[in-house]
Amino acid sequence: MRRLGVLVLVAGAIAAGSASAAGHVTLTVYAASSLTDVLPRVDPGERYSFGGSNTLAAQITQGAPADIFASANLTIPEQLYAKGLVTRPYVLTHNTLVLILPRANPARIHSVTDLRKPDVKIVIAGPAVPVGAYTLQVLKTMRMTDVLDNVVSREADVRDVLAKVALGEADAGFVYATDARTVPKKVTVLRLPVWARPNVAYGIAVVAASKHRAAATAYLKMLLGKRAQTTFRSYGFLPRRTPG
Amino acid sequence: MRRVAFFAAALVATLTTLGFLVLPVVAIFTHVSPVTLVRQLSNPVVDDALVVSAKTTFLAQALVLLLGTPTAYLLATRRFRGRSLVVTAVELPLVLPPAVAGIGLLVAFGRMGLLHTSVPFTQTAVTLAVAFVSGPLYVRAAIAAFEAVDPALVDAARTLGAGPARTFLRVAVPLAGGGLAAGEALAFARGLGEFGATIMFAGSLQHVTQTLPLAIYAAFDVDFDVTLAIGGVLVLISAAVLVALKLATSWTLSLQTSGFRFAPSTSN
Repeated sequence: MRRLGVLVLVAGAIAAGSASAAGHVTLTVYAASSLTDVLPRVDPGERYSFGGSNTLAAQITQGAPADIFASANLTIPEQLYAKGLVTRPYVLTHNTLVLILPRANPARIHSVTDLRKPDVKIVIAGPAVPVGAYTLQVLKTMRMTDVLDNVVSREADVRDVLAKVALGEADAGFVYATDARTVPKKVTVLRLPVWARPNVAYGIAVVAASKHRAAATAYLKMLLGKRAQTTFRSYGFLPRRTPG
Repeated sequence: MRRVAFFAAALVATLTTLGFLVLPVVAIFTHVSPVTLVRQLSNPVVDDALVVSAKTTFLAQALVLLLGTPTAYLLATRRFRGRSLVVTAVELPLVLPPAVAGIGLLVAFGRMGLLHTSVPFTQTAVTLAVAFVSGPLYVRAAIAAFEAVDPALVDAARTLGAGPARTFLRVAVPLAGGGLAAGEALAFARGLGEFGATIMFAGSLQHVTQTLPLAIYAAFDVDFDVTLAIGGVLVLISAAVLVALKLATSWTLSLQTSGFRFAPSTSN
């Protein structure tokens, strides 16, 4: 009986606590892993789940309790919008793809074409992951799809690619410029020719099943606002070109 | 009255437990019809994953048996200072989170690791990851199995002139056979399901390092049917392992009851 009393007390305290914090709803934000550093900087007050945009979309499709979905491409949120799972997506920000090498550069890669050398260990993301799709697009544009024979692993998201190159276990990998900036001492960045760079646009939308749609919409608007966009820029993201 | 109430409560708990444990497995088979399952078996993704899993599991378990059995025998039959420390070290991978095992293997065998090998991203890496996480299960069970062997029988073999190697192979291993098989069945099942250490240490590439669990993960957001089909295949394999385990355990029991009658005659 006494234990039950304690339980009631604890439950009461929790209820009181959440009531006092009723002014702010903590949103659950599902976001592409390339946004891992910037989003909590813009707004540390939310609950974030970072991962491959395709994985997050699959989770939202299966009913995951997300309020906001931010994807590293526009295709995935548009697909979810077509299924009525999210509201119409806005362009959040832009990014660019780069080739990264471990600082020691064991495979002596000095240009994208060096990826063709035998026994180069390349790590890319899976084809369903936005960064993996951009990678394939770049290789196709440069007529270099033969380097796919040197791919030793297809990772689940961009940060997994980054980690394997930063650790020095892989010789090269394709990530976003903003990811490469997070480990400047560990990787060397090779830029891609301008004509081969894919247009990396992030799509953001409110999840239709969200219980906090008003708060989620306000959060989305805040991210598109000047202050948040300045923070995005300071992390290396590119200014929004397409009017949201 | 109280007795009835207790029985009813226990019954409800049992039914809840049973329902909870059985439901996910049943759900897989309600979502994937036998026809889809069979058809997906010819899907190259599933096919490649089956081959990679079969190959690496076979190699890893061969490694586990060849190295694990003598290790367990030594640890079971010898008493020396620091023995419990050695046993703990052998058991540690069992309680280690697989992701930690993966990162450990990477910094041990990676190019930038302690041993500077080029193992990561190869089938050898998958094999090592599987052996690392499943081996301790076998060794633990094998130590217990060897400890349960009646030392009088081992001594008898030695006094009758059998050397230590012969005694180990012809007396200890057959007598511990049931326990060894049970341990191996558990290690096999754990190895087949290995995910975390493999994806970190070996990466994931179809036809090379993508095992069945990695294929489930990769297919999850691409083709749910493939995910379910591989899930179904793994349920069937796991069920077969469990049945094998039960048979192995009952074999131990019958050996124990009939050990004295048969053991001397089998050791020539």
